[in-house]
Amino acid sequence: MRIRTTREKRIFYIKTTLRWLIYYIIIFGCFIYMTSGTWLKPIILIPVALCISVNNNQYASVLTGALCGFLIDISCGKLFGYNAVLLAFFCIVASLVFELYLRYKFINFMMLSAVVSYIQCVLDYHFYYKMWKYEGVERIFTRYSLKIWVYTVISAVIVFLIFRLVNHFLMPKEHLTLEEAITGKNHN
Amino acid sequence: MREFLKSTRFKILLAFLAFLLGIMIYAVTKGGYSVMGSSLLNTVTKPFRKTANSISMNIEHTLDKLSNAEKYYEENQQLKKQIGELNKQLTDYDELKAECEELRKFVTIKEEHEDYILSQPCDVLGYVTNDPFRGFTIDKGSADGIEPYCPVVTAEGIVGITIEVSEHVSTVRTILSPDLSIAAVCSSSTADYGIIEGNILSAEKGNTQLSHISPGNKLKTGDLMITSGSSGLFPKDYAIGTIESLGYDSNGLYYNAEIKPCIDITRLTSVIVITDFSGKREEQNENQDNS
Repeated sequence: MRIRTTREKRIFYIKTTLRWLIYYIIIFGCFIYMTSGTWLKPIILIPVALCISVNNNQYASVLTGALCGFLIDISCGKLFGYNAVLLAFFCIVASLVFELYLRYKFINFMMLSAVVSYIQCVLDYHFYYKMWKYEGVERIFTRYSLKIWVYTVISAVIVFLIFRLVNHFLMPKEHLTLEEAITGKNHN
Repeated sequence: MREFLKSTRFKILLAFLAFLLGIMIYAVTKGGYSVMGSSLLNTVTKPFRKTANSISMNIEHTLDKLSNAEKYYEENQQLKKQIGELNKQLTDYDELKAECEELRKFVTIKEEHEDYILSQPCDVLGYVTNDPFRGFTIDKGSADGIEPYCPVVTAEGIVGITIEVSEHVSTVRTILSPDLSIAAVCSSSTADYGIIEGNILSAEKGNTQLSHISPGNKLKTGDLMITSGSSGLFPKDYAIGTIESLGYDSNGLYYNAEIKPCIDITRLTSVIVITDFSGKREEQNENQDNS
């Protein structure tokens, strides 16, 4: 990203600060939503963390992933740090994959969300239920884990749209020189 | 990608992941107490969670009323009938009570449950997200004298046990969970005993299960099961629930009973924690004795 003038620099800082502020307000809102009520709910913090990761570098991704993971651990009553490790890892992978191989498109993001939330659901089912061999444990997978996974994937659509809107207004645009624009050279 | 794997950035990220793993392992060793980060997050988010949960519960209640109006009408009719029967029983009870009071003049008995040390009433902050066994969090913690593995009750009966305690918030495992076992006896006959232990099928209906029933038992539908107090985790003679049905399990090997808890665990708003009672197992003392 090339910053040319002091004014542009100022706008960049304001936009970045505002963008991260909104990101964290969204994360907090999602956490509150997850901890209220009694119905089955999507693990909405997974698509949120992924959506932030695919638009940012690995350091920001790992921190966001860890925070969202800790919040999932609290709201779902899991071992503190379990989901943080998982989500931090997936956020680094997501950030790298989108930086090197994939473009930020709806279908790519949905596939990523579906895969990550499925892995999270399956691991959760194995470590918290199947491993302990409860009677009729398969019911938990069909009646809870899969439902939660479907809800999470559906919620990813809303998350994608919200973040697209935020990024549309607040994500700093890349500034290329005329020469770079003509030669198609992109400096990140 | 190869460049990334060789970079310092990769090593820093790897170190951070190892740090997170360390936190997770540290959390395992805390023995029921929350780690500092979790405790802090719980404390900071407590008021927001409380407000959001009350809004959510109101919405759910309203939608529930609308969608189940017919069911509630039938339930109402049934309850009216039951009230009539109970009123009749109450008349009998009053007579018995008067008789009992007369007898009491001659016998000095220590008041029941005098040994209990209770916490302040605890509000339910919210149910654990997507937990099939309806675990929930309450707004009191170690600062209010609550410790891990304290019984959680209402006036009607046992609800569960605290499993994780932070300074101002505690997590409760309910009697619907298969991870909680309570020795129970029938209130009318101590010869009929068993183990209260939830399972997935019963938990879906808000019920729990009575297994390992004594051979030759005389249990019947409607019998009240109470705690035996033998484990030292729960006080003696506290109501758990009534028998809804009796029968063999899915394998046809064991005779079980479906227990309807005295309180609807899926709709709790406040509970009380028994922080101490006579006969409570002192784990620390036991550990010291063993060592």
